[in-house]
Amino acid sequence: MLIITRRPGERIMLGDDITIHVMEIVGNSARVGIEAPKSLPVYREEIWAAVKEENEASARAEADSMPRPAPDAGARV
Amino acid sequence: MPLTIDTTRFGPLEIEGEAVIEFPAGLIGLGGSRYALLANDEGAAIVWLQSIDDPSLALPVANPWQFFTDYEVKLSDSEAKRIGVTDPAAADVYVTVRATQPVEDCTANLRAPIVVSAGRGWQVINEADNAPMRAPLFANVAQPATAESAA
Repeated sequence: MLIITRRPGERIMLGDDITIHVMEIVGNSARVGIEAPKSLPVYREEIWAAVKEENEASARAEADSMPRPAPDAGARV
Repeated sequence: MPLTIDTTRFGPLEIEGEAVIEFPAGLIGLGGSRYALLANDEGAAIVWLQSIDDPSLALPVANPWQFFTDYEVKLSDSEAKRIGVTDPAAADVYVTVRATQPVEDCTANLRAPIVVSAGRGWQVINEADNAPMRAPLFANVAQPATAESAA
């Protein structure tokens, strides 16, 4: 992992399109601003990890645990 | 031209082009860029979201309002801009289902719904209050007649 020390007001560039602003440090919290292309989703890590875990758990469902698709299911929306 | 995929769970399936949903950012942590919703004959409220790219990847998803009548989806401005959908009520919304045994203990992820609009889909973070990651799916389904439900 790359480790960089930054002071409030300083920034980090990830490539040309993503800017991380270190805005202020209050007590043990850092306020961080992120400028990224709007197509790029930005998540708090703990939310991302919890959703990933739920998605993985959902994807472990076996075929017969839920109603089966109809034979022509792929033709319908 | 229909695509044929040999799914792990359901065997070979023909997917019509218009049934394919593009997920520009995939599903969170799972990736995949193309999925299809597989309807069932019973008209059940839970359908499978099958990956086109990975035949072994499929998730049961539900129409949230069939189970949670007062469910609300609220998107942050940046999330609404990202997906180009400002009113989730005008799109199709699904929630992933965690299948468990017994089936009564199944839960749905109300915090990260899937919004589908005009053939494209996104999994988003719901900012609404009272949107847990594991909401018991059958908690609000009518129980066998009680004094309260009959009233």
